[in-house]
This record gives sequence, structure tokens and C-alpha cells, in this order.
Amino acid sequence: MIGLRDSVAGRVVLAVISLLVLVFLGMPIVLILVTSFGSDALGSFPPESWTMNWYQQLFADGSRWPAALALSATVAALTTVFSVALGMMAAIALVRSDLPMRSAVYGLVLAPLVIPQVVVALGLFLLFEPAAMLGSPIAIALGHTVLATPIAVMILMATLKGIDERLEDAAASMGAGRLTIARRITFPLAAPGVIAAAIFSFITSFDEFFISQFLSSVDTITLPVQVFNVLQFDVDPTVTAVAALLIAVALVALGLVSLLRRFGTGKQGGLLPVDVPAGGDTK
Amino acid sequence: MAVLAPPPEPVVAAATTTGGWRRRLSGRRTRFGLLNATPVVVYLLILFVYPIFSTLLLSLKGEDGGFTLHWYTDALTGTSLDILLITLRISAETSVISLVIGFLLAYWITRLRPIWAGLVMLVVVVPHFISALVRTYGWIILLGDHGLVNETLMALHVPGAPFQLLYNELGVVIGTTSVMLPYTVLLLYAVMRGVDRGLIAAAASMGAGRLVTFFRVYLPLVAPGLVNAGILSFILCLGYYLTPALMGGPKQTMVASLIDEQVMKNNQWNGASALGVILLLLTFAGLLLLRLVKSVSEAAKNRGAA
Repeated sequence: MIGLRDSVAGRVVLAVISLLVLVFLGMPIVLILVTSFGSDALGSFPPESWTMNWYQQLFADGSRWPAALALSATVAALTTVFSVALGMMAAIALVRSDLPMRSAVYGLVLAPLVIPQVVVALGLFLLFEPAAMLGSPIAIALGHTVLATPIAVMILMATLKGIDERLEDAAASMGAGRLTIARRITFPLAAPGVIAAAIFSFITSFDEFFISQFLSSVDTITLPVQVFNVLQFDVDPTVTAVAALLIAVALVALGLVSLLRRFGTGKQGGLLPVDVPAGGDTK
Repeated sequence: MAVLAPPPEPVVAAATTTGGWRRRLSGRRTRFGLLNATPVVVYLLILFVYPIFSTLLLSLKGEDGGFTLHWYTDALTGTSLDILLITLRISAETSVISLVIGFLLAYWITRLRPIWAGLVMLVVVVPHFISALVRTYGWIILLGDHGLVNETLMALHVPGAPFQLLYNELGVVIGTTSVMLPYTVLLLYAVMRGVDRGLIAAAASMGAGRLVTFFRVYLPLVAPGLVNAGILSFILCLGYYLTPALMGGPKQTMVASLIDEQVMKNNQWNGASALGVILLLLTFAGLLLLRLVKSVSEAAKNRGAA
């Protein structure tokens, strides 16, 4: 049992269990990254010999992966544009206005996070099937936007709340127009948050499986759907390299976000004593 | 989850009369809000609410177009019912195990120095942002007959090794737990950090033993968070597809897989819709329970304060 005034034995046991749990969380990821460079991509760990073979095969002639990668990137880019645009407006409405029925709107925006994805996917299938839009990258992106928007809204709301509204008021009092304020004050301060929202929207779409699968056709198979099909039906060792690539994309995205956070706060600190002649720029 | 917390209500004048409404709607800040909120609301009504609504309608429509409940009776009998029960069981197992493991890990993190706590949280949070599909694939490699886990167990001469760790319930629960665990740890860590250490010290100073302090002081303080995390991972697990589909055998089919099969293989949209609505109702029940727990614990807190 965990004593709250930790005894030495209790502390050791707790630490050992916790470290095991951390291994449990991290092991599948480390394993894939390592075996993707192993000569036997489906098996032994640590690998007996190393190779770049699987990565080369990804882009070899006749490989199905480049098309899937291109489709996933396209869909994710569209989703990012849609959800950041919708999310920005929603965040402004929720944070910076007297919105009637605010909690209902907030609830609606966040609801896709808790509703089972299979239900959302099924509903979208029923919507797009009669419209003959199955297999359209736009349809898949419209579906992903439902899932990505809540995440974008949460990030952007936090961003807007972090911006001192008095800066905008000050600019307005000095005669800056609304557009000038948005362009010179609000947007520069919000930029790190907007980029973070874009990155998370992109990743949400890039990794999404269920909606992509329901809305896919023979020619439009996203990367995760292709990975799933390979795992379920045919064995193709290049899938390990694809999985490693997906991990790399997520890690790069997370790295970018944490860099932004550091950079963003530094910039905000530097901007606080506003020395921009806000009044001279009212066009 | 922060997601479920009700948003802070903006302080506005009570608008009970029609005149009040009209006055509010005519305010500049109100019009600005409506203008900005409209796109997302319209979007979600068309691509989120309407599709779910049409699922509901389809699940109530018979072959002749009339009203029927027979898709629901189909869904609640035979193999379909078995699959529902399996889904509930696997979700319960997953959320209980993630809760226990998550509790230990989160508690350990609260006792670490800030720099270590930050590092450990990174190990918890990063997997959460990596595709569950990829992590499931990692588990498939790890848990195979010649995977790392079995090889290690055999090297240690554990009797009975190699074990069958894949394509059974054990495999599914291992996989789903690893997906749900980051959520649980994050939720519990947030609650535990909010616990006033002074109360623990007070209990100890008045002579309460470790166990008494733990069960009478600490556990009641974090209990609402525990229930919260448990219900939430249960809900998220109910509609889960990837891991059970890849790591389970035929006996671990979950509702989401059944829906997928009915739509993709059998073209049975009505039946699939009924299953979807059942899943949705179970989710709502969970969310309602979440609300209930919240108001009960708040009432208890108020009573304690009075």
C-alpha cells in the first residue's frame, strides 16, 4: 500500500511499478522506430543487422504508399484550413463577445470529442453516400474537420484568453481601427496559438482512421487505412517503415509546438510595453 | 477532462423577457459574437448533428419504409447482444486497469521533483499524440509468439512461456489500456496536484496512521477525479475499433467492428444505425453519470464547508 508519509520500501515499490508503466507506454513506439531499421522488420528485437531497405522500398516503383501519403497530406492540409478558420471564429465568439446561449454553442463545438467516432463516421457515410461523394478527398476532409475543430477551438480559446484585452482597448483609444488592431495587435500575439492549432488539426486528420475508412473508395485510401489493411490482410514489412514515419511526423509536430510555446511567450513578453505607433496606421 | 467542465458563464444581465432578448441581440458585442459563431454552428449542424439524426431515423425505419423497432430487437438478441456485452466487459476491464495503474503513476509523479515530473509527463503525453494504430502495431510485434515479451519470459525460464498474448481478450485489454492510460494519468495528476498537502500533514499530526490518512483523507479528496477518469475512459473505450479489430480474435469483436462489418460487408445500414444509436445512448448515460458525480461531490464539498 502507498503510505502517504512514504516509507522507503513503499517508495521503491512505487517507483519500480511506475517505471514499468512508463516502459509499457513507450515500448511499442521505441520498438517500431528501432525495428524499422532492422533487416527483419517484422521480428527480432534488437535487430541482428541494420538496413534502410524498408524505407527505400516505400518509394520504389509500384509501391502503394506514395499515393496514400499524398492523399493523407492533402486531406490533412484541407482539414487544417477548414478547422483553423472555423475554430478562430468560434473562439472569438466564445471568448470575446456576449454570445447568447454560449454554453450550448460551447457544448456543441466540443461534443465531437466524446461522441463515439464510429457513430460520427456512420452518420457521415449516410450523408455522403447518396451525394456520391464517397472517395472524395474533400468529403474526407470535411469529416475530419468535425473532429479537428474542437481541438483548434480549445487551443485558440486559451490563446485569446492569454492576450490582454487592454492592449486592444489601448490601441482603439489611440484611434486604431478594428482591422488595424486585428492585424497589428491581436494577430501577432495570437500567431503561436494559431500555428499550434494548425499543427494539431493536421495531426488529427493525418492519423484519423475511422472516418477515412468509411468514406474511402478503391482509389482514395489514406495512409492509416492502408496501414490497417496491410496489418489485417497481407503482410508487408514496409509497413514498419510507414509506422515509423507516422511516429516521426507526430514527434516533429510536437517538437514544433513546444518550440512555439517557448518562442511565443518570449515574444509576448517583449511586446507588452507597446512601442508601436498604433495611431499612425488607421487606413 | 477539461473538455467537460462547463464554461465560465459571462456575466450578463438576466434576459427573461422578450424585450431583454431583443436588447441583448441588438448589442454590438452580441452581434459580433453571433457573426463569428454562426459558421461553426452551421457546419456542425450539417456535418455532425444532422448525420447523427439521420442515423437515428434510419434505425427506426423498416424495409417497407414504416416505423419499426425490429432493428433494435435484432441488436439486443443473439450474437449481437453477445458483442454488446463483450464491449461493455472489455471497456470495464480497460478502465479499471487504467485507473489502478494510472493512479499509481500519477501519484508517483506528484511526489517527484518538478524537473523529473516534467520529464515523466513527457513520456506519458507523447504517446498520446502518436497514432493509436501505430502503437497497436507495436504491441502486435511485441506480443507475438516470438515477440520481445515472450522471448524475455522464455529467457527468464518462466514456466508456461511462450504465452498466447495476441488474438484473445488479454491482448485486446493490453492494447486498449495502453491507449487509454495517458488520459487517465493526465486527469488524475491534475486532481492530485490540487490536493492540499496541509490536510495530510494535519491528519498525520493528529496521530492518524498511514492507512487511515490514505483512506480517510487522501482517497475521499481524489475520489471524484477517480470516478471522472474511470467513466471517461469507459466511454471512450465503448466505441473503440482499431485495437480490438487488430489484436482480438473472433470472440473479442466489439460493437464498432460489428457496425463496420454491417455497413461494409452486409450493406445492412439500418442494423448498423441501431447499433450506433445504442452506442450513443450508452455514451450519454456515461456523460449523465459524470454530471451526477460532479454535482454530488460539489454538494458534499459545500456541506463540508458549511
